Amino acid sequence: MIPAPLLDVQNLMRSFGGGKSLLGRPRPVINAINDVSFQVAAGETLGLVGESGSGKSTVGRAVLQLDPADSGSVRFAGTELTILGPQQMKPFRRRMQMIFQDPYSALNPRMKVGRFVAEPLVVHGVAGGSALTDRVADLFRLVGLDPSFMTRYPHEFSGGQRQRINIARAIALEPAFIVADEPITALDVSIQAQIINLFQDLQDQMGLAYLFIAHDLSMVRYLCQRVAVMLRGRIVEIAPTENIFSDPQHPYTRSLLAAIPVPDPDRKRPDRPPFAVSENIPPREAGMIEVSPGHFVLEHKK
Amino acid sequence: MKHFLTDLYRSKAGLVGAVLIMVIVLVSLLAPVLDLPDPTRGDLRARLVGPTWTGLFTPGAHPLGTDEVGRDILSRLINGSRITLLVATTAVVLGGIVGTILGILAGYKGGLVDRILMRLVDIQLAVPLMLLALLVVAALGPSLRNVVLVLALTSWIRYARIIRAQVLSLREREFVQSAHAIGASTLRIMFLHILPNVLTPALVVGTLELARVIIMDSALSFLGLGVQPPTPSWGRMLADGRVYISSAWWAVTFPGLAIVLTVLSVNLFGDWLRDYFDPKTRSAK
Repeated sequence: MIPAPLLDVQNLMRSFGGGKSLLGRPRPVINAINDVSFQVAAGETLGLVGESGSGKSTVGRAVLQLDPADSGSVRFAGTELTILGPQQMKPFRRRMQMIFQDPYSALNPRMKVGRFVAEPLVVHGVAGGSALTDRVADLFRLVGLDPSFMTRYPHEFSGGQRQRINIARAIALEPAFIVADEPITALDVSIQAQIINLFQDLQDQMGLAYLFIAHDLSMVRYLCQRVAVMLRGRIVEIAPTENIFSDPQHPYTRSLLAAIPVPDPDRKRPDRPPFAVSENIPPREAGMIEVSPGHFVLEHKK
Repeated sequence: MKHFLTDLYRSKAGLVGAVLIMVIVLVSLLAPVLDLPDPTRGDLRARLVGPTWTGLFTPGAHPLGTDEVGRDILSRLINGSRITLLVATTAVVLGGIVGTILGILAGYKGGLVDRILMRLVDIQLAVPLMLLALLVVAALGPSLRNVVLVLALTSWIRYARIIRAQVLSLREREFVQSAHAIGASTLRIMFLHILPNVLTPALVVGTLELARVIIMDSALSFLGLGVQPPTPSWGRMLADGRVYISSAWWAVTFPGLAIVLTVLSVNLFGDWLRDYFDPKTRSAK
């Protein structure tokens, strides 16, 4: 990688559980993310896919230091974030934001949405008074909402509108990088396309980089330049999007691709041996092999 | 607000409670202009006079009778309601403020702060509240201020527990995460994102606490540790009148009824309020 990446994540680890229960029985340790490394370049979209519980969201939260990792390194624009205290972290919060999965839970039900979108600007002292109102109105227009909605409460909006409000809040500080944690999963299919287009428009206008967490591979194919596939807390394959779709290497990637529905009732799904996760847990010592430029896959049984 | 009123109108119990509360509050507020006899001045020639239903319209008569030193019971009830409502609302609001803040602190901060605060609550719950109140009043001496303080002291734990439980679930909601992600301070998150979302449960606890505190205030007065005579208070009237229960039933019955009606109406209204703000029961209607 010739230009330094905007985000460089190395050997990230995070486990839950452990210790002992009240009765002295040891609690099982779950490695939610296990030795995860990847880079995101400025203006790039990296897709992060995998089944539920594979650790995708934990990676997103660990990158933003919302739920810090146990070990490993997260470098943003050359600065190591994992060693920063809350005060030192604050300037970086301006440059990296998050969009959440559930647009209903992501809005404060007791706060007018205009104030909610304005909050990051207030917290960072960027704007105040009428300049603030103007800025928020601009943000509303930017995400395709009428600025007159500013004085309403969240329950008056649909899911798609709420997600637009969340996006407006996330881009308020003009960040360089956004973690989008399954931002369209909770939306209607017709709304999904609108939100995806909004993501692309914003990327074109603001040069945003995304870490796009998803399990809908067709959306990922459409939106992302590169894709990382996660299984049981590990990245098993990471490659440019076209390589993943045309030349998947890891059996888990293949099984994910085979699961994409085809909108043709005459085409029966081909019989294939089901992918058993339990038999394919990546061995601890497995390393990444580069099969073609930029296409890495975790060592696995053939 | 409109929906609030129509829903209240549709609920019989809630409406009865609300109307009764309004009447009680109105009457106690209007006490100075009602031209009542002095509640503290006795008339030994008119001891334990029975109620006369026509007395309402005759000046100088006693519609609800008189007590053992000839004081007008109606006047004492109405004037006593001022004290009772003042003591109860102040105590509940005071306990509510302290309990809500500590509940948010315990729920949001977690860890050591949470453990200390919750064990404190547990300890206090293990001691009978009446005993605690007696101890404090006995130590500090009975006065209006001390009664309010002691009632607030028995009240904050209920808020703290319920608010803490609410905060524990709120804390994990994505809008709180989002506030972290923009770099909002802990204070900002607690007051702008958590507090507005726990005000509803706090309000409901408040109405239920109001009923409990009124009873407790009466009990303290009954035991002689409440507001001191000659200031009229319902519990005190009950205590003084009980000696004559076989010969002058009105001396205990009317203060008793006043307590029952007030507590009942506050409870009815509080129950309805709880259902109204609970989205589950509201959508079921």
